[in-house]
Amino acid sequence: MNIQEYISSGIIETYVLGLASAEEAEEFERMCGAHAEVRNARDLFEQQLERNAIAVGVQPPRKLKSLILSEVEIDAQKHAPRKSIIEPEKTERIPVIRITPAFWKYAAAASIILLVASTILNFYFFNQYKKTNELYSQLLSSNNRLAREFKIMQAKADNYAAAMDMTNDSNMAVVKLPGVPEHSANRATVYWDKRSKDVYLFVNNLPAPPAGKQYQLWAIVNGQPVDAGMINWESGNMKAPIKNITFANAFAITLEKEGGSSTPTPNAMYVFGNT
Amino acid sequence: MRDSSFPETNFAILSKIISLVANITYSEGELVSLLQSRDTLAFNYLYDHYATALYGVILPIVNEAEGANDVLQEVFLNIWRRIETYDPSKGRLFTWMLNIARNASIDLLRSKSFQNSRKNQPLSETVDWGNNYHVSQPDTATIGLHKLLEKLKEDQRVLIDLAYFKGYTHEEIAEIEGLPLGTVKTRIRNALIQLRNFMK
Repeated sequence: MNIQEYISSGIIETYVLGLASAEEAEEFERMCGAHAEVRNARDLFEQQLERNAIAVGVQPPRKLKSLILSEVEIDAQKHAPRKSIIEPEKTERIPVIRITPAFWKYAAAASIILLVASTILNFYFFNQYKKTNELYSQLLSSNNRLAREFKIMQAKADNYAAAMDMTNDSNMAVVKLPGVPEHSANRATVYWDKRSKDVYLFVNNLPAPPAGKQYQLWAIVNGQPVDAGMINWESGNMKAPIKNITFANAFAITLEKEGGSSTPTPNAMYVFGNT
Repeated sequence: MRDSSFPETNFAILSKIISLVANITYSEGELVSLLQSRDTLAFNYLYDHYATALYGVILPIVNEAEGANDVLQEVFLNIWRRIETYDPSKGRLFTWMLNIARNASIDLLRSKSFQNSRKNQPLSETVDWGNNYHVSQPDTATIGLHKLLEKLKEDQRVLIDLAYFKGYTHEEIAEIEGLPLGTVKTRIRNALIQLRNFMK
């Protein structure tokens, strides 16, 4: 009988399933030792049988697992010393580093530890980053506020510079408007350009107008008040140019309703001055 | 938004690693050497992996749930205690376990106390229970590995049932069936080859 015939005789199935007689089994094991083909054929059937048994298996009752595991646990503790006696001997004989599942367990544990550490560091850096970011936006907003304030200050400074220029201009007639007896503390100054006849007003000291009210400048021409323009309170102390006035004996400011009146309200005069 | 997803990426990696560790698989050599060093985690893996397959062999032989549970328990304890006697040169680990399971099942089937309890059962239950008798006895004989036999011809099925699931020797079968020993041997071998072809 040649090897192929032996392999296909059914001896493999008989042996693996435990149905071979003692003599048959002995002979089969000898054949396996001598012929790799027989070994391989046996292994092939064993794998097939294993796959099949798993596929058609029956789930045992769940309680059995914990029962069996607890018995094994007790057994493992009883036999614990055996493990420690056997192992050092083994490692002495085999100085080669063996990559066992235990190695992978440690490797996995180590990588998890590293990962946790890196996660913590990430959180730390992320928080640092958030803090810095907050600080940055605070600085940015304060910088913007300073820039805004600077612009306002510059506008004011420009306004004052213009006023200074006018006072130094020899073609500019200066009319001082002191406060009337009821408002003796108040004061304003009219700058009147002799060439263009434009009238400018500098508010030295006037109270802020109440809501719904506005100051109005009047030119007194031959005893008659002529409207010389409304004073925009928001635009700095220098109000320019209000109106073009060709001739005036005097100037006065009264507090009128918003938008102005056609004739000045009596008793509402704050300042008055002759040209 | 990109900044806040930054730590989440690590959590995804972490959970992946954990799932990889949880699904760790052993090669057969690793499993055997871990079992020999009395590693209970490896035993846990062994149970999860093979209990279903072995129960599928035990149950059709013992043909009774209570007994099958006892046998499964005994089999796994034997695997745990006798793992040093497993010889890889003689076959795969599963083959070794399968034979332990079959032998233990047949031992129980043959034991006097088990046979007595079985003999008593039909006596009390056949008393006018009629068809109910068949209903009350779940047909555990045709599940698991035994299922394969359904595809065999009747005479082959009887032989395999007697040899593999009842544990009779070829000589005993020759006597029961009134056939020459050589015929029994040949028929069983042919039936096993047939069975193998039915397997996946």
